Amino acid sequence: MNTNIKNKLVFALALTLLLGGLFAGGAVAADGVQLDQFHASQGVACADCHGADNQREAVPMIKCLECHDTKAVAAATADLQPTNPHDNRHFSTETDCNYCHHQHQKSENFCTPCHLRFEFVVP
Amino acid sequence: MSKEKSPEENAVDQYTANVLQNGISRRSFMSRAAVGAAAAGLGAMSLTGLTGSKAEAASVAECGEFAKSSDGGATLDFMPKPELIAEKEIASTKTFDVVVVGAGASGVPAALSAAENGAKVAVLQKQAIVVSQGNTGSGIDLAKSDKAGIEALVNRLNADSAHRCNPALVRSWAYNSGEAISWVIDRAKKGGATVVDQGTGPQHGIRGITEYPLNFVTSYFGPKPYTAGDGMRALAKTAEKAGVKFFFNMPAQQLVQEKSGRVVGVISKGRDGKYYRFMAKKGVILAAGDYQNNEAMSNYFIPDAKNFVRKQMDRTGDGFTMAFWAGGVIEPLGHTKMLHDFDAGPAAMCDMPFLAVNRKGERFVNETVAMSLMNNYLRDAENAGHYSQVFDADYMTGAKGWPGKLYSPEELKNYMPEDPSPKKGVFPSQTNTYKADTLEELAVKLECDPKTFVASVKRYNELCKAGKDDDFGKPANRLLPVEKAPFYGIHRRMRVSAITSGMLVNANHQALNADGQPINGLFIVGNMGGGFYGGVDYPLTVFGLSLGRCYTFGYLTGKHVAKL
Ligand SMILES: Cc1cc2nc3c(=O)[nH]c(=O)nc-3n(C[C@H](O)[C@H](O)[C@H](O)COP(=O)(O)OP(=O)(O)OC[C@H]3O[C@@H](n4cnc5c(N)ncnc54)[C@H](O)[C@@H]3O)c2cc1C
Ligand code: HEC
Ligand code: HEC
Ligand code: HEC
Ligand code: HEC
Repeated sequence: MNTNIKNKLVFALALTLLLGGLFAGGAVAADGVQLDQFHASQGVACADCHGADNQREAVPMIKCLECHDTKAVAAATADLQPTNPHDNRHFSTETDCNYCHHQHQKSENFCTPCHLRFEFVVP
Repeated sequence: MSKEKSPEENAVDQYTANVLQNGISRRSFMSRAAVGAAAAGLGAMSLTGLTGSKAEAASVAECGEFAKSSDGGATLDFMPKPELIAEKEIASTKTFDVVVVGAGASGVPAALSAAENGAKVAVLQKQAIVVSQGNTGSGIDLAKSDKAGIEALVNRLNADSAHRCNPALVRSWAYNSGEAISWVIDRAKKGGATVVDQGTGPQHGIRGITEYPLNFVTSYFGPKPYTAGDGMRALAKTAEKAGVKFFFNMPAQQLVQEKSGRVVGVISKGRDGKYYRFMAKKGVILAAGDYQNNEAMSNYFIPDAKNFVRKQMDRTGDGFTMAFWAGGVIEPLGHTKMLHDFDAGPAAMCDMPFLAVNRKGERFVNETVAMSLMNNYLRDAENAGHYSQVFDADYMTGAKGWPGKLYSPEELKNYMPEDPSPKKGVFPSQTNTYKADTLEELAVKLECDPKTFVASVKRYNELCKAGKDDDFGKPANRLLPVEKAPFYGIHRRMRVSAITSGMLVNANHQALNADGQPINGLFIVGNMGGGFYGGVDYPLTVFGLSLGRCYTFGYLTGKHVAKL
């Protein structure tokens, strides 16, 4: 990513941080809200993911696991139809969160290119 | 066969000679550019990773930072030189007799087989669990087969590979697979697997190959959605009981190689970003699968497959890069591919020559072409492997006696996502069969342009009426018109199941370097291993040949390395 875009992104994030408070009440992100806003609303700081020296680069899955327990996440969506995205035959409960959940852009459904009708919406 | 052959004994067969000449190796460009034997010897034996010293670094440097094509013209940046990992970056070092890279259809059998033969074994697995795929894996039941029959099959498999394979490896499968498959079935059962030996029953493709007895051991992990992946997870339980240590989320990155060229270990990177070193006293067995998910590597070695969706994940060819930098040779361009769709509709109807239309709705082929070869007519970005088989209300009578097995309208419901019936013995998300009252409606369901589709059907019906296929030459007794509602369509999607070409190995599955000499301590099995195929497409003569060879070569190689 070139620095120009990077700066813009950081700027946009700073703005959303201010708005973060809006979502502080619920524990589920509203439709169309990106995860960075939602995390901010939950009191998660940039540094919680990007480290104390604030390296603004892709965050490995293991970071997510500092706060999220994969087994618990899998249990929370155990009844999701048509299948549980958090517990599957390819990765068990350990699918890389970043395959689906994106923080600063729209999340995506990693399973659909291969699976017809796995149409869940990823927050 | 003796373990160490002298160079004179090691008379190079045609297959090996060709791969040595035209394959991709660190030295291929240099030697072909007549750098000479001395420099070549140096280049072939230099180090990767940890133990790199200045002298070796220099010869590696002649290859630059990346691999080169065999004529030296192209830089293969998908195979970068491994970075030097400093000793202080290694979080821990563990020592085993045998280290297996990859826990799939060849790696798990290799590990268990080595352990049963007394070795202390580690398996390094990239993914969080043991992962493999498919249901059927086959071998020859030696006790119930005649040698002449076996050799006839070997001849047929060589022909299926356009005679570009290594017959010694085909024989290695032929004469050891029965024992290996029976062993896999037994050990997987002990780990709780749902598996049966289907014997020769499913092997319809061998008809007419020989007049002598030829029988099979056919392992079947299923029915779907249960697969050989579940089977290998069960086999891994047996392996753990036998003492094998599995390390998950532990992708191998580099081989550790001595100055002599001997491979003595593997370095993996854990999820925590730290490096872990696994030393192997007897040998390293690479079983990391194919490279279908490495886009640049696929486009280079098998450009035909550019527009096809992949069926697997995380097969990024890491093992190829490791073996290459250790001096191994990759088979020349034009690798063998496997593209199937046994799931959209009944597998037994996949080769039935009903009218077939491509994604646009055009008839595009003489439909007697087998499903496993259809991909060759659908390589462009628009079709990208999609086609549909189309038939009408009278198919049960009209197609009676065609090769395969017809499923009744009632049975077809199991493959129809629109039908509310609970799905059994299939992957629900892969079913793709539709029924409609009009051709236009069917076209929409099959995602074809209705106008084009209806025109294609009309033209096809005319040919059927004339009893003469002026467009594609299909035999008259396969010209079944599509006239009477309801209409049916099976929308098949050819996607890359596997790529089945790999690294040059000898009959012990030991990697060879560019001089044709075995690389000490380095063994390669499964789809990473070359020489077993050679055609454009994986052949379906023996159903389950792929898993069959993976299990067999894993079984043999585990035993061989444990006994070194
Ligand atoms: C949907 C589908 C159905 C199939 N059905 C059949 C069938 O019925 N019969 C048949 O004969 N064949 C079938 N095949 C083909 C068959 O599954 C493969 O050819 C076979 O599994 C290959 O075995 P393998 O051991 O080479 O690789 P895999 O079984 O794919 O295992 C390779 C393993 O290596 C791991 N790995 C990769 N990179 C690294 C690394 N750097 N470090 C550590 N580990 C690594 C992977 O995580 C993986 O678990 C099918 C394939 C697909 C996709
Ligand atoms: C929940 C963890 C998490 C939090 C909190 C988080 N990020 Fe990120 N960040 C990521 C991930 C993951 C990526 C990779 C791209 C993606 O998934 O969107 C990323 C990417 C970035 C990038 C782009 C880096 C690149 O080269 O692609 C920047 C810049 C960035 N984050 C800034 C911030 C700032 C500023 C904040 C605080 C407002 C923040 N991030 C909070 C996880 C996080
Ligand atoms: C510092 C702690 C922390 C880290 C690190 C963190 N999260 Fe979260 N995350 C939370 C909290 C708190 C919540 C809200 C409570 C909950 O749903 O668990 C949350 C919620 C979520 C949600 C649910 C959103 C919704 O709409 O319900 C997702 C998805 C998520 N996180 C993904 C990630 C991913 C992916 C990463 C790693 C890139 C990550 N988180 C890293 C603390 C964290
Ligand atoms: C295959 C895509 C996919 C992956 C990979 C994935 N998630 Fe999710 N996640 C989803 C979907 C879809 C939902 C929404 C579930 C729903 O609609 O209830 C979700 C919801 C969540 C939630 C909210 C759960 C709740 O309480 O309702 C959390 C927290 C979360 N994910 C965390 C993670 C973490 C942590 C990882 C990595 C270990 C991960 N996810 C990996 C698709 C994914
Ligand atoms: C690269 C293609 C690919 C991707 C991406 C993929 N799968 Fe699969 N999946 C397959 C294939 C092929 C099968 C059938 C054979 C097998 O098990 O490998 C399958 C089988 C399954 C099955 C059992 C069959 C069925 O239809 O119910 C489930 C459940 C499943 N996958 C879940 C997931 C989930 C959840 C994701 C997203 C995290 C995912 N898959 C991503 C290729 C893929």
